[in-house]
Amino acid sequence: MHEAPIIELGGFHLDLSIVLMMVVTCTIVFVIAKLATRNLSVENPGKLQNFMEWTTEFVKNMITSSMNWKKGKPFLSLALTLILFIFVGNMLGLLFGVVTEYHDPAKAKIFGQEITSVTSVLEEAHAKYPEEEAHAEVAWWKSPTADAGVTMGLALLVFVISNGLGLFKNTRNYLKHYVQPYPLFLPINIIEQVSKLMTHGIRLYANIFAGEVLISTIMTLAKASVVGTIMSIPLLMAWDGFSIFVGAIQAFVFVTLMIVYISQSIDTHEEEH
Amino acid sequence: MKFVWENTVIALIAIGILYFLLNKYAFGPLFSVMEKRRELVKQQLSEAAQTREQAATYVEEQKAALQEARKEAYDIIEQSKQTSSKQATQIIDLAKEEAVRLKDEAVRDIENEKNKAVEQLRSEVGAVSVKIASKLIEKEVSTEGVQGELVDKYLKEVGGRS
Repeated sequence: MHEAPIIELGGFHLDLSIVLMMVVTCTIVFVIAKLATRNLSVENPGKLQNFMEWTTEFVKNMITSSMNWKKGKPFLSLALTLILFIFVGNMLGLLFGVVTEYHDPAKAKIFGQEITSVTSVLEEAHAKYPEEEAHAEVAWWKSPTADAGVTMGLALLVFVISNGLGLFKNTRNYLKHYVQPYPLFLPINIIEQVSKLMTHGIRLYANIFAGEVLISTIMTLAKASVVGTIMSIPLLMAWDGFSIFVGAIQAFVFVTLMIVYISQSIDTHEEEH
Repeated sequence: MKFVWENTVIALIAIGILYFLLNKYAFGPLFSVMEKRRELVKQQLSEAAQTREQAATYVEEQKAALQEARKEAYDIIEQSKQTSSKQATQIIDLAKEEAVRLKDEAVRDIENEKNKAVEQLRSEVGAVSVKIASKLIEKEVSTEGVQGELVDKYLKEVGGRS
């Protein structure tokens, strides 16, 4: 099991790998989007522009499938940003991994800061098995979406947007839906809202994290012996292919759910009356 | 599973920055271009519909004009047929008149010539008879009866011929 490289910075636990991967993911997404929209042309779009327009149309269709376009238009940018970010983030962890190994708590340092997660693990291990040499592995390169904190952040963003819009733009219908069909259902409806937030974040995290765990397990097998190395190659190929699929599906699912949650809370039931 | 709440903060900040940048530098222009293309397509479609309509009206106009021209041509032919037949009868009438006139003239000329010839012959006959008479007189004026008979015979001959 890999540790996260966490340093303490004025009481703030800074996960350096997350910072790094955030910067990398955002940069890649922005560079792709910027390249695609560099030479915009109405009549003669380039390949990248076509790709970007295809993506936009795809997201637009996702939005129009759950709310009308007039209401959904403001969320196009957000949905597009999230789907690109999550997809690129999911893919990054599959390319390769950067892992460093530590044995001595005193050496687990970066930029002159102690990597607290490593030292705590090492000290714990040392306390448990004093005769063995303690060791900890730190993953520097991984999917940013394989971290519960990050995915919960994204889910929280959606939660705040959907409930905020419901509360301020659609107050009556939004509040009414908590006591439907009977006021007795109020606690259930509140639990539903909270569970939406939890499942939204955890679903993405769990899928990607599980993929990375299995990849690192296969890598351990590969390191173990020659037979293991040979066996690990087809396994890794199969699992990487499946992970690409899962990554794309999870990006799609996350954004679809975001759109559904938003459309539910801004729904004014106009069509039914 | 370790939940580090600081990662949540980092994620929110990163997404916020990414959203802002993408919206400003990539998606904004992209959406406007897509909107422009939509407008362009719409405009071209309506233009095409307009052109088609125009073409249809043009065809109708052309058909009408063709019909008109046909009718006119038919009229002209009809008219010219009438005129030509009228002219033909006119010409024939004229020719007939001319022929009649020429014939009359010719008849008159012939009559004149005949009269003239008869006149001339008469005067010549007179002269010849005088000559004959003088010759007969010169020869012998024996038998009066024979002479007179001869003169009558000549005269008769000449007159019978005229």
